[in-house]
Amino acid sequence: MSCPSEHVTGYVDGVLDAATRREVEAHLADCPSCREQAAFERETRERLRALPAPEPRPGFEDALRQAIRRRRPSRLRWALPLAAGLSALVFWGRGAAPFVAFELTLDHAKCFSRARLPAQVWGDEVARLAPWFEARGTALPPLPHSAGGLALVGGRYCPLLDRRAVHLYYAADGRHVSLFVIPGSLHGEEGFARRVAGRQVRLLRVAGSQLGIVGEHRGDVEAFERALTTTVATLLQGPATTR
Amino acid sequence: MNRDERFESEALPHARSLYGTAYRMTRNAHDAEDLVQETLLRAHRAFDRYTPGTNIRAWLYTILHRVRTDALRRSGRRPLTVELDGDGPAVPPAQDALATGAEDLERALSRLPEAFRTAVILRDVEELSYQEIAETLDIPIGTVMSRIHRGRALLRNALSGSAR
Repeated sequence: MSCPSEHVTGYVDGVLDAATRREVEAHLADCPSCREQAAFERETRERLRALPAPEPRPGFEDALRQAIRRRRPSRLRWALPLAAGLSALVFWGRGAAPFVAFELTLDHAKCFSRARLPAQVWGDEVARLAPWFEARGTALPPLPHSAGGLALVGGRYCPLLDRRAVHLYYAADGRHVSLFVIPGSLHGEEGFARRVAGRQVRLLRVAGSQLGIVGEHRGDVEAFERALTTTVATLLQGPATTR
Repeated sequence: MNRDERFESEALPHARSLYGTAYRMTRNAHDAEDLVQETLLRAHRAFDRYTPGTNIRAWLYTILHRVRTDALRRSGRRPLTVELDGDGPAVPPAQDALATGAEDLERALSRLPEAFRTAVILRDVEELSYQEIAETLDIPIGTVMSRIHRGRALLRNALSGSAR
């Protein structure tokens, strides 16, 4: 009869099912060799458990802790893609019509929400404001001093992400329109006429200048567009001054 | 307690026990330290996949075994079967251990082929269940029993002529 020596190991470790265990027990009763195996395995198991554990060098656990802390997924793991995303957004946003339209809308809302307009220069005629901007390096194109019943009030410089625009305020009876003169060019501005953050925005080029119109009412914005594209274009035939 | 704090309180206390097994697997203090460090770094990265409440030691031994297997595969080596070198093991030569022949047993264990040695260590030293050893080594339970049996039989042969 062959000895079930592997099962004797399983028997010693108590992992056999009931039927196999009974078979092994019956075998052990008649087999001195397997009883010796079982005794050796029990004894060796106890001796192995009692072996002194190999000790790491002093300071090993501290070194481990430090190594793990150094290799922790740092905030940079999130910051880098975030920074890359922001950079991409900034890169895309620079000069992109929707992004600039959003910036103009924010500035329009911010300025007209104040109890007093934050104008840097006041006046109801473009010709009065133009020298102030010109002294600061910006030559204004021909612009209307009123349109759709809204009249020029004043203006200031408005900082955008990558440039500085001229922001002119027009107002009448609780209605407001902002006319922006944006240096450089935008991409995607051709035919840009949308509602942005609750305001109507129109981007257009007139006489070589990039302009933006922001107002609460579509009719007001369209009135300024007409004024710019017709009246102002006509003015271009004359001296480069504004009425 | 955040994830890192949980890892430090749940996994790091097993570093010494991992080291003991790593040392017996590699038979070299430096390799054992590297093995434990890589194991815990991997465990830290994968800690979100550890199921709280399950046996973290078994989970760590699974990673230890994978790290060891990967290292051997990279080096193109098979599991080593050489003896402990003459520089002396990191096992403290406790007087009572010597008196009971622990040194002979340790040496015999170190001479086992790694597959059997690992199975015997996980069962008899680390006291993992057969099921846990099967998962750790990614082998069937029958193979676990077979390897433990072979390992103990080889120990018996090795010790039969020595001062037991």
